[in-house]
Amino acid sequence: MRLLIVIPAYNEQENIERVVDNLVEHYPQYDYLVVNDGSRDHTGKICRERGYRFLDLPVNLGLTGAFQAGLRYADRLDYDMAIQFDGDGQHDPGYIGAMAEKMAVEDLDVVIGSRFKNEKKPFGLRMLGNQMIQLAIKITTGATIKDPTSGMRLFNRTMIQEFARNLNYGPEPDTIAYLIRGGASVQEVQVQMRERIAGESYFNFRRATEYMIRMCTSIILIQWFRKRGD
Amino acid sequence: MSMVLRIALMIVSVLTLWYTARKIRKSQLQIEDSIFWMAFPAALVILSVFPGIANWAAERIGIQSPVNFIFLAIIFILILKAFSLSIRLSQLDVKIRALTQEIALRERLEKEQEGESGKAAG
Repeated sequence: MRLLIVIPAYNEQENIERVVDNLVEHYPQYDYLVVNDGSRDHTGKICRERGYRFLDLPVNLGLTGAFQAGLRYADRLDYDMAIQFDGDGQHDPGYIGAMAEKMAVEDLDVVIGSRFKNEKKPFGLRMLGNQMIQLAIKITTGATIKDPTSGMRLFNRTMIQEFARNLNYGPEPDTIAYLIRGGASVQEVQVQMRERIAGESYFNFRRATEYMIRMCTSIILIQWFRKRGD
Repeated sequence: MSMVLRIALMIVSVLTLWYTARKIRKSQLQIEDSIFWMAFPAALVILSVFPGIANWAAERIGIQSPVNFIFLAIIFILILKAFSLSIRLSQLDVKIRALTQEIALRERLEKEQEGESGKAAG
């Protein structure tokens, strides 16, 4: 069983060393790949100097393009599983083992590292978007995904190929909804996430609202027009 | 259609044609892309020279004033053009993404192969 940890990194000079060194030191059983998404800071330089395994995208593609680059690498090197992993230290690699085991035992396509599988979702403005997207997925697919916005998602070989070779496969909740409707099996595993330690979060209130609206529109309206498996 | 509008249409169309031709001469526009910008103002010139066409068309589809028909036709054609540009943009985006990924992937895989052959030699 070969598993690749894909770490899209855009301007993560303050976090990337800590994240990767932790993986190298404590989780040598997994391979990792940093995808430097045309960062304007020293992310690329750090990766080169430290001899990390990384893809150096010459221009910034955004999360979708960067993650896809990582999955194309996983596809070419025939990995069995690939996990989407944040470059800012929010995700704890300690949970990867449990996620991979669930995937293998239950023969699943996608396993989401979920903050709210067993724990109650806190009520508040921050979780409103998460709740709305959960509702949109519930309405359109019937499935309950308690943490659709979690950025820690494990994909099996079939999914790696599908993500690597197709258009409109962003690592986002709308793709998850689309996959579920197309017959993919998606389950969650309870995980803990940390607050980011350094750097600034991409999500402020306006961006979070835009993100929610875009995701809900995509899930409720646009995904119906897609056909899976061409 | 008033005389003023006809003259205005003609002047603007001729200017557009001239500008398009200049862009082609300076190699700033591909021939394929210029066809629209030649055909569109040419059609406007025809409409302003022969106002009968607009009168007839407006009457046929029940628009009171021929000038409204002209506006409607222009808006419709421009919407189609905007949509086709959006598709082109999408396709370009996909191509740039694929190229960027491919460059980085090749660089990486070459490096890994070098590393492996280096190890084998040593």
